[in-house]
Amino acid sequence: MLDAIGTVLVVLGAGFALLAGIGVNRFPDTYSRMHAAAKSPTLGLVLAAAGACFRVRTVPAICIFVLVAIVQLLTSPVSTHIAARAVHLRMKVEMDGVDELASDELARDRPAGDDPV
Amino acid sequence: MDLALGVVALAGLLFVLRVLRGPALADRVIAADGFVSTIVIAVTIAAARRDLRVVEVTVLVVALAGFVGTSMLARYIERRGG
Repeated sequence: MLDAIGTVLVVLGAGFALLAGIGVNRFPDTYSRMHAAAKSPTLGLVLAAAGACFRVRTVPAICIFVLVAIVQLLTSPVSTHIAARAVHLRMKVEMDGVDELASDELARDRPAGDDPV
Repeated sequence: MDLALGVVALAGLLFVLRVLRGPALADRVIAADGFVSTIVIAVTIAAARRDLRVVEVTVLVVALAGFVGTSMLARYIERRGG
């Protein structure tokens, strides 16, 4: 029974990885692709790690899988934020023909000559 | 479980396709980040199969290496331009 639950969770996690792969190829601009590549693999990994916990059932393995899920939940938003910041500062990304982030609304709060990079 | 590994392999192929297609450097970096996440999921699934004898710590190492790699590539884009 536990093995069956684990298998279902692992297959669901693999499905979310596939959804991310499809989204990265189908979405039209960089920010949308970033959204697909960052969020669904995180949920997929949490599901796969939960499924692996149900299947392996030893204390050290479960500790490591929980740690992996926590590490992914902490690092994935950080690295995606850094990548999004780089894209915002250095690239022009047009969605439906307009660049909605073209004006830097935080610029007036920064001291003059302060390069955010 | 074989089905899960096959699905993850297909997802990895799709990420590699985006790495090859680009068009900008940032798209490749993002797709490579997703590819590393897919590898982490694949190793987790391999660790869940008791016949493969994968050491579980491998998952943690790959996840942390992917985080450092993506952060460094993003800093490179910030300094040199996309």
